[in-house]
Amino acid sequence: MTVISRGWDRLTLSGKVIFTLVPLLLALTVGLVAAIAVLGGPLLDVLAANLPIVRFAVAATAILLMTIPTAFLIIYMEMKVIAQMNLRIGPDRVGPFGSLLSVVHGLKVLMKEDFTPTGADSTVFTWAPVVVYLASVMTLLVIPFAPGLYGQDLNIGLLYFFAMAGLGVVGLLMGGWSSYNKYSLLGGLRAAAQVVSYEIPLTLSVVGLILLAGTMSLNQIVLNQAGWFTDWYVFQQPLGALIFFIAATAEANRTPFDLTEADSEIVAGFATEYSGMRFGFFFFAEYVNVFIMSALTVTLFFGGWNAPFAWPFETGLTIDPGSLGIGLILLIAIVPVILTLAFAAPFWIASSRIKGWQALIIGFVLTNLFIVGLLGAWAYVELDWVAGILWFMLKTYVFVFTFVWMRGTLPRVRIDQLMDFAWKWLLPAALLNLFVTAGAIVVLNAIDRVPT
Amino acid sequence: MSFIPGLGIAKGMALTLRRFFEPKVTIKYPEERYEVAPKFRGRLQLLYDEWGTLKCETCFQCAQACPIECIDMGGVDTRGRYHVHWGPPEQYGERREESALRRSGRPVPDPAFLPFQPIDLAEVDAVLDEYDHDPNRMLDILEGTQGAYGYLPVAALKRISHATGAWYATIYGTASFYGHLRFEPPTATDQAAAVARHRPAESSYLAALDAALVGNGHPGAQTQARA
Repeated sequence: MTVISRGWDRLTLSGKVIFTLVPLLLALTVGLVAAIAVLGGPLLDVLAANLPIVRFAVAATAILLMTIPTAFLIIYMEMKVIAQMNLRIGPDRVGPFGSLLSVVHGLKVLMKEDFTPTGADSTVFTWAPVVVYLASVMTLLVIPFAPGLYGQDLNIGLLYFFAMAGLGVVGLLMGGWSSYNKYSLLGGLRAAAQVVSYEIPLTLSVVGLILLAGTMSLNQIVLNQAGWFTDWYVFQQPLGALIFFIAATAEANRTPFDLTEADSEIVAGFATEYSGMRFGFFFFAEYVNVFIMSALTVTLFFGGWNAPFAWPFETGLTIDPGSLGIGLILLIAIVPVILTLAFAAPFWIASSRIKGWQALIIGFVLTNLFIVGLLGAWAYVELDWVAGILWFMLKTYVFVFTFVWMRGTLPRVRIDQLMDFAWKWLLPAALLNLFVTAGAIVVLNAIDRVPT
Repeated sequence: MSFIPGLGIAKGMALTLRRFFEPKVTIKYPEERYEVAPKFRGRLQLLYDEWGTLKCETCFQCAQACPIECIDMGGVDTRGRYHVHWGPPEQYGERREESALRRSGRPVPDPAFLPFQPIDLAEVDAVLDEYDHDPNRMLDILEGTQGAYGYLPVAALKRISHATGAWYATIYGTASFYGHLRFEPPTATDQAAAVARHRPAESSYLAALDAALVGNGHPGAQTQARA
């Protein structure tokens, strides 16, 4: 006993942590394996019987987890891109090119005091950021990221999307009302007024597209746009796309319509009384919203996960590594060595200043890059969801960049200009777009050339 | 501004996109240093505080750092206790403000010649007419002027400069080069000569000083005595 206690006392703090965690993890792993061995069969049967529920749970978890790195990425992108536009360098201290600075921001927010004002309705105060965040995250459930890669393919996907986006207003009002602060309440009301006002042109601008597509399922809308980029709906609904993008900017509370939580001002609207991670949720929700609005723009108007060109030839490439048998092991053993030597040789020959081991390191790195590139190319060609998610993310981040770009350029509008623009310009334009589209469809139907 | 709606926005967006790709102006200071010429010391300028006195504290850092030793200065230290200086001794002391003004490029008021004596300029004009206002015959003009007044008054020199077109500084230089031209009335020169005549010669003055110091226990004298 004394030996153990003395040995324990001599350990450093990290040693204590390791000596505690390693046995704990070992025990847990053994327990998990045992549990799977004993209960695995019946459990799998139950899960297989309830596949839709499992699918939903997995999708919701995955999407919830996905939002955090997405938000970090967009926050970093915003800091970096706006800095570059200001001829600054931007974050460059934490991580490669400062890319971990947004993570540090997240940790900072976690460590701050979580303050509730006296007299605040603490239940509502606590739940407001959750509602805002969940409203953002739940909209992601219907967005198709790639062929077969979506949370749920609802046949009223678009409607669901707008319903969930509208739920965010409730969170804003909750936050504003429960703060026990006149300015928070005013900020919340203003935010609600803005979001509700812009929801109308946002929804109306899409109705023309729904008429064209004949469906509200986002997956089906994407499938309708397959082929070359000329098949994208933006070329049939340019006005609709424009109105949608502008209204989406306002919905996501982005510059030039970001007066609800104007970052450059001291008072943060409905979030005035929020601090710590509760403010962090509002903050995250804003950036998740940026991603969602970009993703929806891409899905509706820019072909979703479709490549801008139709793949011109069909690859009959099928690789079955198992058929090689024992040769596979030899291949795995020999090919990297040969490739490393092959990549190292030119460097070793070309310059007498590069030593042999340096050339070998270069060759090893190049081999890895080559193999990863080869695997990537294979995955792009063979797995359609890899290609799909690649194109989808590429297009989405183009729009995220546009949002950030607009923030780096445009000044903030006044509240009356904001309202004027929504009701006097966007709404009539959206109605015009809707009626023209409907009229065109009627005319085309009448002359028996049905589109889509 | 324009009749195309959104043109301004498009222009602004284009501007920011161009800025996005331009080289950045930030210098990451401890790692990167801005390239400065080795002799660069910034602009030499003295500032006044709100009471109108020079902010210079006579810390001599500028004089110490000056690469070509063009800064000389002197003055009283910040507590007003000691007389401190940097540079040749004939230039320190009460000349601090004037020297500072000159280095900072401000006009230096010179009380020695600004309020000069007005004189009757008819005689200078006569001399100038005689030599045809020709700046190349400046020595003749100056000698004529000294002949008329007995010396070279500042007002006359200014008149000559104005009439001939030669710079005052050039005329002054010419006049001060020749020993027989003077800027004060002869009485002043005579007075100075008389004072010098009554002053003891420098060698005898120093000998008397040495004797006085040795008599009062001069440390150098003591060591010499011991040796």
